[in-house]
Amino acid sequence: MALRLHAVLRRQDHRRARGQQGDASVTSQTFRSILATASLCAMMAAAPALAQTRAETLRHVTGAAVNTLDPTMPGSTREAFGLSLSTYDRLVSMGRKQLNGKWVFDLDTIRGELAERYEVSPDGKTITFYLRKDAKFHDGTPVTTEDVKWSLDRAVTAKSLAAAQMLTGSITNADQFKIIDAHTLQMTLPNPDKLALPNLATVYPIIINSKLAKSHATPEDPWAQTWLKDNTAGSGAYMIETYKPGEQVILRRNEAWNRGPGGAQAGFKRLITQTVPEAATRANLVERGDADIVIDLQANDAAALEAKGKLKVISTPQYNAITFISFNNQIPPFDNVNVRRAIAYALPYEDMFKAALFGRGAPLYNGDWKGGPPAGTFPIPQPVKTDLAMAKKFLADAGMPNGFSTTFSFNVGQAGTAEPMSALLKESLAKIGITVDIQKLPDAQMSTLINEKKLPFFTEGIVAWLPSMDYFYRNFYIGNIRWNYSSLNNPQITEMAQAARFEPDAKKYADYGLKLNALHFELMPQVPIWQPSQDAVMQTSVEGYTYQFHRQIDFRDLSRK
Amino acid sequence: MSALSGTAKRAAARLLSSLPALLGVLVFTFLLMRVLPGDPAVFFASGPNAGKEEIEEIRRQMGLDKPIPEQLVRYLADIGKGNLGRSLTTGQPVLNDLRQRLPASLELTLSALLLALLAAIPLGIVAALRPGSMVDHAVRFFCSLGVCVPTFVSGLLLIYVFYYLLGIAPDPTGRVDVFTTLPPVVTGFLLVDFALAGDWEGWTAAARQLVLPAFTMALFVVAPLARITRASMLATLGSDFIRTARALGLPRLQIIVAYALRNALLPVLTIAGIVFSTMLGANVLVEKVFSWPGVASYALDALLASDYAPVQGFVLLMASIFVIVNLTVDILYGIADPRVSVA
Repeated sequence: MALRLHAVLRRQDHRRARGQQGDASVTSQTFRSILATASLCAMMAAAPALAQTRAETLRHVTGAAVNTLDPTMPGSTREAFGLSLSTYDRLVSMGRKQLNGKWVFDLDTIRGELAERYEVSPDGKTITFYLRKDAKFHDGTPVTTEDVKWSLDRAVTAKSLAAAQMLTGSITNADQFKIIDAHTLQMTLPNPDKLALPNLATVYPIIINSKLAKSHATPEDPWAQTWLKDNTAGSGAYMIETYKPGEQVILRRNEAWNRGPGGAQAGFKRLITQTVPEAATRANLVERGDADIVIDLQANDAAALEAKGKLKVISTPQYNAITFISFNNQIPPFDNVNVRRAIAYALPYEDMFKAALFGRGAPLYNGDWKGGPPAGTFPIPQPVKTDLAMAKKFLADAGMPNGFSTTFSFNVGQAGTAEPMSALLKESLAKIGITVDIQKLPDAQMSTLINEKKLPFFTEGIVAWLPSMDYFYRNFYIGNIRWNYSSLNNPQITEMAQAARFEPDAKKYADYGLKLNALHFELMPQVPIWQPSQDAVMQTSVEGYTYQFHRQIDFRDLSRK
Repeated sequence: MSALSGTAKRAAARLLSSLPALLGVLVFTFLLMRVLPGDPAVFFASGPNAGKEEIEEIRRQMGLDKPIPEQLVRYLADIGKGNLGRSLTTGQPVLNDLRQRLPASLELTLSALLLALLAAIPLGIVAALRPGSMVDHAVRFFCSLGVCVPTFVSGLLLIYVFYYLLGIAPDPTGRVDVFTTLPPVVTGFLLVDFALAGDWEGWTAAARQLVLPAFTMALFVVAPLARITRASMLATLGSDFIRTARALGLPRLQIIVAYALRNALLPVLTIAGIVFSTMLGANVLVEKVFSWPGVASYALDALLASDYAPVQGFVLLMASIFVIVNLTVDILYGIADPRVSVA
């Protein structure tokens, strides 16, 4: 056997020596080595250039995906909202303030973006916008009031997510916008709505290049919604280089953009945002420096990275978001206020806060109310804490001293925090005789059941882009809508919330807030438990991070030190 | 030549006969999706201020306001025209999404299968040559380990060791490094497209990204392939014609490879076909862990969002691939073993 192999190999050697393969193999070997050395040299020469490019690029990884370039499209993800802040401008933008040492958005400071200034009439019903004269779209054409009017008409008329949001600021009709001249536009309101101006700084009222968009409109699609889903026609700080929905988006800086605070440009030359579904991988990426910033890590990963000290972790309590434990006030036994109170005093708040959030957030329990609510803002910490004796007393008052059994639901999307929360809740409620059956539901199913008002007892969260007190009460406690989790139907709350909306006097507005907060605690339609923190984990060289109302990264804020 | 045309005729007949099965799968999936709890219109209308009118509007846009039999007929008519519907999660037509993502899944699955075969066949042969020995036990142990560890655990472990600790592997964020420009799309397989474009730097980048996920998947399927090779080899090595070959004094290597293996490979071929079809769908975990933009993770995302069209399109695709793979295996069987005819 070995002899035969030997013979075979010797025959091959002979062939090589006779040059049948010989010359080719020798030259190919030399050629390969030359190529290798050349490419190595080239790579070494390019290394400093590459390093510089890497520093000028911001790489963001997220578990979700950007699925549209038009944020008003139904089904748009939060990441798509966040991206649209960079690709499109709006008339105005929200400023920022410091809250406990961290930069957060400031609802009360509205600065001009495409409008260089604005004037509010004394009666609060007319706002005049004076456009910048130097603003240009990505294709070089100037931004005029024609474009602004078309875009705002689109926001209120087209079948999209925008109309419902604009409604919260009394902006409902295209007739409310009037072109005065090429750089002046007027908006009239039926009532002096404080939220009208801030609404123009939210995600939806993007200013679109109307000539470009109209060239892609069709009779069935007059607002070019199909085309704008996959293409941009904006004037924002960044332009799209490549867009792969569900995978990644690469953007490059619009060098002509100067609409940051104080006329600043955007900090990074290039942006890459990639979808990485696995949370552990995202943590690995940012730790090894391959990703620059990530805001959707799990709480324990963020805590661990903060402890290691090599990355910058900015943990901001989301002051416009609230996590509730909600009851459907129309389904017995939760229609009995004493049952709701009993559960509120039986919840193991501290344990849940530590287990679900690792203590990272702002608790909304253990509040100190000497006689009445300390402030007229919403939300404020409630004067409840875990007190099983009180809980048992309320349950007896409700006529159910032996307890009852019910289900508690949460959706898969928040399983990370809701799973430990529900386990502890089940254990604690068992101590006062309430047996809880935990239901974990897919997101779509949970949304449907909440919408149909079929869930008696569940946990959910809300976010308000414009976190004023009346906005919360009007949108989350009134009407037969999905967002009224507790299905509350209280005429007093309804009346006060609606009145507060148009109350121009600050003191009277605050009074409404105090009364509403007091009534809210008395009725206890649902229990606000905490405001989770957003953990933004980034390289130490990344600066300027600000917690925005849409809870995504506004890339325009960021720069590299 | 006539043999080839005969094969082709039989293949065509087989394809036609599988159409009713495909139709059945389609209808079943369609009904299942609509019976599942979860209203997609509500889910997609989840804007901060979605009202009832908005939800109704979305329902109308999705065509869900019509009665189910009418929806089914419309859907089948659309399929006939080649329109698989539109995905609400990505906003693209389903056909485009699948066309973009299928090459990614196929490339990963084919590489994994190749790796698995390259490992499993030698292992199976070695185990068959020394049945009951330490080598046989070692092979059995290795295979069991590969099957017991779920793919997401082995994937995460490999990432932890090779990327996080050692830094050898590239970051697991997709098919190619984000800073590399993609080649012009010819087949959709990056290894092929980079080679066709002559971009060897890109080819290396794509190959490097492929190593860990392919290895993870290969680990999982080595077991059935190695075991079937071993069993088949054992059976073949015990047969009469091998005994004759040995008696005639033919070289050992020639006996094992040219005669025994060639005959033992037939069952392996069948198993490889089945394993391939299962891998294509079951690699969703690997795709999620390595951020691989494949069809399986696409379908899973759509399922969780109650997005009907992509899930139905995915099931149709998988069923069609299964039919084609089975047909291919049978044809290959017919080529490898002259005793077998395709029909």
